[in-house]
Amino acid sequence: MEILDDRGLDVGEDVIGDRPRRYQRRRPRQVVPEYVDWKDVDYLRQFVPERGKIMPRRISGISAKDQRRIAQAIKRARSMAMLPFVAD
Amino acid sequence: MANRTYEVMYIVNPDTPVDTIGKLNEAVGKLVEKEGGTVVRLDDIGIRRLAYPIQKKEDGYYVLFEIEGSGQEIAELERRMRVNDMIMRYITVRVDEDRKAATKRREKREARVAKRTKFRPSASGVEAQAEA
Repeated sequence: MEILDDRGLDVGEDVIGDRPRRYQRRRPRQVVPEYVDWKDVDYLRQFVPERGKIMPRRISGISAKDQRRIAQAIKRARSMAMLPFVAD
Repeated sequence: MANRTYEVMYIVNPDTPVDTIGKLNEAVGKLVEKEGGTVVRLDDIGIRRLAYPIQKKEDGYYVLFEIEGSGQEIAELERRMRVNDMIMRYITVRVDEDRKAATKRREKREARVAKRTKFRPSASGVEAQAEA
């Protein structure tokens, strides 16, 4: 459904308040392998942007179940210093 | 008893001489066997850059074990690793359940693909599409 009253706001901008946010899904319906290996740093990197945070589901576009598995794997890799907790 | 599979990884201080690390790995294997487990795989990954410093060290020597057993040997192993000064970090992950879930998921996916090709056997593009 389209929001008709835009009140001159730029589309795509985050507006905290009285209207729902709009997002462009970056990678809709990504295929996640059956087994997410926590040691496969190169694969996990694609869900960890520059800053080191875990990419939210609304950006990565993966299912909630897959997101949980990926997040778990990233956390394990972090504790073994294979991925950063923070990078700056 | 239910047989379980574990992945045990530890980071050894990179300043330790290589033969000492070899001895350490041997000792780990022996301990596991003594407690009734089996070492499925020993992967000596070697020196790797750490994502963040641990004990003021920028590098670490990674070793990965895959162990099958009841869980008793893991308890003992973790106790020993905790007091060992050479080991800077360790982690144990139980993998058998996740792997079982993974094969189940794969079978489901394959069954779905097979079903689809059965209805449209001429379309070879269907299979590629399902996999993508």
